[in-house]
Amino acid sequence: MKRHIVCRTSELREGERKLIEADGKSIGVFNVKGNYYALRNRCPHQFAPLCLGKVTGYAPPSQAHEFPWKRDGEIIRCPWHGWEFDLKTGQSVFNPHKVRTKSYEVAIESQSQCEEKVESYSVEIEENFVVVYV
Amino acid sequence: MTIIDVDIHQSWEDPLELTRRLPAHFREMDYALPGGMYSSPVGVSRFDARGDHGESAGSSYQKLKEQHLDAFGISKALLTGGDTLSLGVHPHAEYARHLARAYNDAVLDLWLPCDPRLYASLIIAPQNPQTAAEEIRRLGGHPRIVEVLMCSASRLPFGNAFYWPIYEAAQEMGLPVACHPGAETRGVSNGFVAGPASTYIEWHTNLNQGYMGHVVSLICEGVFEKFPRLKFVAKEGGLAWIPGVLWRLDKNWKALRSSVPWVKKLPSEYLIEHVRFTSQPIEEPANVEHLLALFDIIQAEKTVLFASDYPHWDNDSPRHALPARLPENMKKRIMSLNALETYLFPESSSIQ
Repeated sequence: MKRHIVCRTSELREGERKLIEADGKSIGVFNVKGNYYALRNRCPHQFAPLCLGKVTGYAPPSQAHEFPWKRDGEIIRCPWHGWEFDLKTGQSVFNPHKVRTKSYEVAIESQSQCEEKVESYSVEIEENFVVVYV
Repeated sequence: MTIIDVDIHQSWEDPLELTRRLPAHFREMDYALPGGMYSSPVGVSRFDARGDHGESAGSSYQKLKEQHLDAFGISKALLTGGDTLSLGVHPHAEYARHLARAYNDAVLDLWLPCDPRLYASLIIAPQNPQTAAEEIRRLGGHPRIVEVLMCSASRLPFGNAFYWPIYEAAQEMGLPVACHPGAETRGVSNGFVAGPASTYIEWHTNLNQGYMGHVVSLICEGVFEKFPRLKFVAKEGGLAWIPGVLWRLDKNWKALRSSVPWVKKLPSEYLIEHVRFTSQPIEEPANVEHLLALFDIIQAEKTVLFASDYPHWDNDSPRHALPARLPENMKKRIMSLNALETYLFPESSSIQ
């Protein structure tokens, strides 16, 4: 696995996303309620750019004519056909074990851990970086 | 592989573009297109097809060019408009006819000059077939207008003699007549036979019902006997229902043909010769062999034309919609050759 520095944590706030190229792949990195996740930017259906979709919640399976709404901000819908995926795992809502997009490990690493790669930064305070392992 | 895309929905940079082109009377009356009752949870257009400042999908030529025409290497693209098509079920036939006229002029003025790959459908208001036929004759000779288009939502099935002036004019101008869904259950159209849907998923799934009625009507009313050079293009109405309806119709014809003695051969033979279907939204059975079998049954190498439906939410990728295992020859027929045989594209723009 290769380590890719995405940005400073202050540059990816809650509810925001960043698209990066890493290892020849387009990857979306998301801040979901203070936790960071990364998904391959490709829907398994017709290969549309999944990570450009709307971040939303979803209606979990319910009894007939009950209308639940859960996990707001944790689900992304493909911008083409609206298929729903879990930002935390890359699994689809309708068939999580068979239909999924690749999910990557994300870590928050400190200035010193990242120094060698970003030595040009002169940071006033100790700041953390979002790092993806691809 | 050469790609001809026969269903692309463009709109206008200026939302008032068509209104400005209407006669003063209709502007003053403040008429509007008949609204729909069903909203889609994912929107009608692709989330990534809007402009950077929230402009409606399909309104920018640059975006269409970059995101679709260039990205997929489309050779010819047929513009079919957007919601405007629902003018065909507006209760006011004269308003509808003037709006269609404004639309057709605006496509010629604003869209076709952008790119030689673009072609246009001529939208008509079928509420008054005589004035619709006038519109077909007014602009149907333009080299880059290649079909007549009306909404598939209707008050009467399309074989009815009411519509024959439209078919007469289209045949005369060498244009296929196409229909496209979206206005179902709006305006003065009939509802679904079983009754109204509750949600968009029900409504959208049921859109193929009208197509079944139209195709059976076109064949049984003798439209293709009366207008032997006419082609009918059933856009976005699905494919998988075709075998069931045709098998039933062919079987019935053997016993009941005396009621429609002008239907001189098996109904399915008229369909293979005169009716074309567009691929999108492609059906996606769990077992892809079932789709290949369907293509074989409906002779897709003659009857199916590729369409993306860009930029709508259920659009198909020109690269990934058809099964990878589809025989190469059939793929070529669907992606371009069938369209070349259906539409009279000008010689000068023959395939690169």
